[in-house]
Order: sequence, then structure tokens, then C-alpha cells
Amino acid sequence: MLSPDEFFEPVEDWERDTEYIAMENKSFGRDVWSRFCRNRRALFGLVCLTAVVVLAIFGPMVSPYPYDGMDVAVKNQGSSIAHWFGTDQFGRDTFTRVLYGARISLMIGFVATAINLVIGVLYGGIAGYVGGFADMVLMRIVDIIYAVPAMVYMILLMLLLGSNVYSVMIGICVSGWINMARIVRSQVISLKEQEFSVAAFVMGASTRRILFRHLLINSLGPIIVSVTLMIPQAIFTEAFLSFIGIGISAPMASLGTLAQDAKMQLEIYPMQMIWPVAVICLVIFSLNFMGEGLEEALNPKGKR
Amino acid sequence: MDQPVIKIEDLEKSFKVKSSSFKRPARVRAVNKVSLEIKKGETLGLVGESGCGKSTLGRTILKVHEPDGGKILFEGTDITGFSRAQMRPYRKRMQMIFQDPYASLNPRFTVGELIGEPMEIYDMYTRAEREVRVQELMRTVGLKPDHIRRYPHEFSGGQRQRIGIARTLALDPEFIVCDEPISALDVSIQSQIVNLLEKIQAERQLSYLFIAHDLGMVRHISHRIGVMYLGYLVEVGEADEVYSHPLHPYTKALMSAAPEPDPRAARARQRIMLEGEIPNPLDIPKGCPFCTRCPQAKPRCREERPELKEAGGSGRQAACLLLEG
Ligand SMILES: Nc1ncnc2c1ncn2[C@@H]1O[C@H](COP(=O)(O)OP(=O)(O)OP(=O)(O)O)[C@@H](O)[C@H]1O
Ligand SMILES: [Mg+2]
Repeated sequence: MLSPDEFFEPVEDWERDTEYIAMENKSFGRDVWSRFCRNRRALFGLVCLTAVVVLAIFGPMVSPYPYDGMDVAVKNQGSSIAHWFGTDQFGRDTFTRVLYGARISLMIGFVATAINLVIGVLYGGIAGYVGGFADMVLMRIVDIIYAVPAMVYMILLMLLLGSNVYSVMIGICVSGWINMARIVRSQVISLKEQEFSVAAFVMGASTRRILFRHLLINSLGPIIVSVTLMIPQAIFTEAFLSFIGIGISAPMASLGTLAQDAKMQLEIYPMQMIWPVAVICLVIFSLNFMGEGLEEALNPKGKR
Repeated sequence: MDQPVIKIEDLEKSFKVKSSSFKRPARVRAVNKVSLEIKKGETLGLVGESGCGKSTLGRTILKVHEPDGGKILFEGTDITGFSRAQMRPYRKRMQMIFQDPYASLNPRFTVGELIGEPMEIYDMYTRAEREVRVQELMRTVGLKPDHIRRYPHEFSGGQRQRIGIARTLALDPEFIVCDEPISALDVSIQSQIVNLLEKIQAERQLSYLFIAHDLGMVRHISHRIGVMYLGYLVEVGEADEVYSHPLHPYTKALMSAAPEPDPRAARARQRIMLEGEIPNPLDIPKGCPFCTRCPQAKPRCREERPELKEAGGSGRQAACLLLEG
């Protein structure tokens, strides 16, 4: 015979608690990750972007063709086993050049965005947190920089530093951080009035701690969304500059210069244009999908 | 005699507000010449209509707002002009509990990080010791220590308020401003939180400035009560006496609206309805701040501003010209 004790077990303490809300115990990072993965489009974006990044980094290394190696015997070919994306007017392998171009484009996109991110977050964060007169001065400076069209800075820099990767990157950064600064500033202004920042102040937290650990971390959503828009924007700006012929100069190639090179023969060999443009589109869509997914995943209030 | 934990003298705080870009910025006088003291282990309840400056008073005492005038003494030390660095050792000893348990906890922190943060700020203990301390504090306020890695949004309102209280206690303060700590909670949870606050007070000899709307609850928890109107402290006294025999006409009106548990007393009581609106704090009446709505106002009340004075004995104070005779 079994005793009653073997049929039943005592109720756990927490099972008695009426106020208890059932929820898995996860760390914040893993929590965000699992919510991100549930978003199919975001995951698709991540996979595509990763693939492009990996190919852009390692592709040119393993490719049998150098990105600038010409071979007149095989110019303007279509896709084949030897040349997957065909060749261009000088007989250069388009696949290798697209990967190499993607590498330059992505590098410009990421580096320029990283610089804009750091400057924008610090500038906007400090302006918003300090407030008052300092804020007013800082924001007027921003207005002045913003009043001049970005293209003017870029053309001036090209004249000054020549057409190369650095002048394009600096050109993108001159006014590129301003949007970020404004977003962060308005976030910080609204968050610093919230009770949790008052609580941190009352505890005796330093300005740096309040700014970084309380205000900026809660602005992460808008910051990340804006970053995922800044990267494609930088890539696009570079492509545009190269396309109109004032960006990166040959034999170096970005996706923009590839499109520019293909422009001449667009009517006869449209595929030469389509490949680089398709990669630009893929990168930009992927980043936008990821941005969307991250925004949702980062907002724990959206949780059921 | 015991030195009061907190003593403020003629404390003033006003805020600039922009009305239109052409006019000179106006000033909202949120706290006007308020003097009071709170002894060790004592709860001073603070009541008054919305917008009368209760929160501003509490925050100015903690120097969240820089005072415009007057003095703040913490255990006899004048901290009024202290810089942020000078305030640091005092911040540990005077803390605050907030009204909104949702807004007062950083949503990106786990419970452990939230309660541990004050100790981290003052570099107290090692990481492992802090975790033990946090779990102890969680037990003190009635939370389960194994929930230490959860985020605040996983808890109910009452539990969040407990997290806030645990965080406040982490620094072992002597004085806590409780800014309507229960008004955002369900009635059934309110008394639990009040009991918790009372229990902690008894254990640690804490002093509270307890701001509230709910007059019944204030009477229950407070030793003394202060009544504010338009940024002025108009009456202070023992809780029960202020309830049963209010002196100031405003307190009389306020108390007549308070719920009375005894039906016989409730029937006997006359409800005083106040006429008119609260004056705009941008434009406080010249004489007694209450004169525009006071049912007993005399011509003199519109000219002279009454001071908070001894009235009715047993340490009671009120600011009314009629009581001075
Ligand atoms: N930061 C601020 N800037 C400008 N005015 C303010 C500020 N804080 C408070 N005030 C004004 O000061 C007055 C007093 O506000 P306070 O929040 O202290 O009132 P309260 O008694 O706590 O009200 P409630 O019961 O609604 O919490 C109000 O008129 C308010 O508009
Ligand atoms: Mg308030």
C-alpha cells in the first residue's frame, strides 16, 4: 500500500502566491535574441547580411581572379562556370569585383556609421542631460552645420583630400551624426524627468552613470533603429558619389563605381549593372528588416 | 532633547515657466517659506490638493531641486548649499520612495541590479557579497530571493513597489521621503505596503515624510500631519488632533471630506464645500493664500499674510489670522 505522502507532494511556496506572474527566467540579451529570432523577416535580413559580409571579406581572397586583373580575351561575357556573374568591358571577373565592391561599400557604411553613432550619442546625450544654456549653444551649432547641404561638404572634401575612401567617409560623417544627436537629445530630455532617473540621482549616482546606464540604455531602441537606417544611407551616399564620378576612383571599386562603369554599356549588357545594384538592394533591405526586428525585440513592454 | 533628523526653515522653491516668448518668464511658486521638523522614528504625513507642492517640497529636501531660499538641516548639518560631491555621503542617509512603481524602476535592470545599484554606486562590498545582501533585502520586503534575475515588468505593481523599497533600504537610510507610495496600487495591496513600511520603520527607527492623497491612510501611518495649500504649510499637529479638531479653515474643509469609519460621527459631521477654484500658483493672493475660498474670510485676511504660529496648544501650529484673534 502506498501512503498518501507518496501520492501527493507539498505545494511549493511560489505556487501559492497569487501575485506571481509566470514567466521564464532569462537574461536580457537572450530575451532580446529569442524575440528577434521569432521575427522571420528580421532573421532573413540577418542571414542575408551575414552571407554578404562573409562573402565580401573572404570571397576576394579565394577567388581565382584578382579584382583588377584584366583579360581582353574574355571581355563582356555573360554568366558561365568560369565567370559566375560574367565579365566587364576589360574582361575583369564581375563576381570578384562585386564582392570586392561590397567589401568597400560595407566598410564605408559600418565605419562611417560607427563614427556618427559615437559623436551623435555623446553630443546629443550631453546636450540633453545638461540642458539650459549649454544645450541651446550646442543645438545652434548643430543647426549651423545642418544648414549647409551635405553634398557641399563632400565636394569640398573631394577637392581637398582627393577622391578616395577617406574623403568619402569623412564627407558622410560631417553632418551624418546630427540626426542621431537630435534623436538622442530628445530621448534623454524626456527620460531624465522620469522617476527612475530621479531615483538614480537621489541614490547619489554620477552624471556619467545616469547618462549611460539609465538614460542611454533606455534610448537603445531609437538609437538602433536609427543606426540601421544610417548604414544603408551611408552605403547609398557612397554609391551615389561614386556613380556620379566623384567617389572612389579606379581601380578600387565600390558597388557604386561598378554601377557607374556599367552605365556606358547599359543597353547592350544590362547584367553588368544589375549585379551590383542587386547587392546594394539586398544589403539595404536586410538592414531595414533587421532594424525593424531589433526595435520590436528590444522593447520589453511589447511582451505579453 | 533629541535633535530632529530633518529640519527645514523657510524653504522656498519656484520654477520658471515660459508662457509666451514675448512675456517675461513667470514663476510658479511651488513651495513658500515652509518650516518643519521630523524627529527620529517619526512619520510626518503631508496632505493637500494636487499641485499644492507636496512632491516639490519632498524633492527639494532631498536636493533634487536646488532650493531658492531657506535652510535644510540634516541632523544639525546645514546641507542647503552643498555641492553634488559634498552631498554624496548624505545621499546615502536620505532616500525616496516613488509613487509610480512602473516609472521608478529602470526597465533594463534586473531586480538584482536594481537593488544592488545603490551599493555599487558607493562601492560597498564585493559583487558576491552584494548579491547576498540583495537577497536578504528581498526577503525583508517579502520578495522571493530566487527572482533576483527577473526584470521589473515581470512583477505586479505591489511587488514592484517592494523592489523600490528594498532598493531604498540598501543604503540603510535614516530618512525617507515617501511620495504617494501607495496611490498607484490596488486597495488590497495598499495596506500590505503600508504595513511593510511601518514594520521597517519600527525595526530601523526610520523617519518618514509621507506624502499622500488618501487621508485615512495618512492618519493611520502618521504621528504628525502637515497640511499644505498653494505651497504654504497651513497647519501642523498630532495626527489624531488634526483630524478630530482641525484649526485652519482649509484643514476643516479637507477633513470634512475625509472618509469617517464611524457612521454616527459621519452623520453628525457637516461637510464643508469649498467655493471656487484653487488660485493659479503663478498668481497667489496677496493676503492669506486661502482667502479667496475661505468661508470665514475677513477683510484683514486679504491684506495680511498669516505666519505659521503656535495655536491650540500641544505643539500645534496653524497659519490663520482668525486664530490669532
Ligand atoms: N519641474 C517643474 N517645472 C515647472 N513647474 C513645476 C515643476 N514641478 C512642479 N511644478 C509645479 O509646481 C506646483 C507643485 O507641483 P507638485 O508636483 O509639487 O504638486 P503635488 O502637491 O505633488 O501634486 P500631486 O498631488 O498631483 O502630486 C505645480 O503647480 C506644478 O505645476
Ligand atoms: Mg506629487
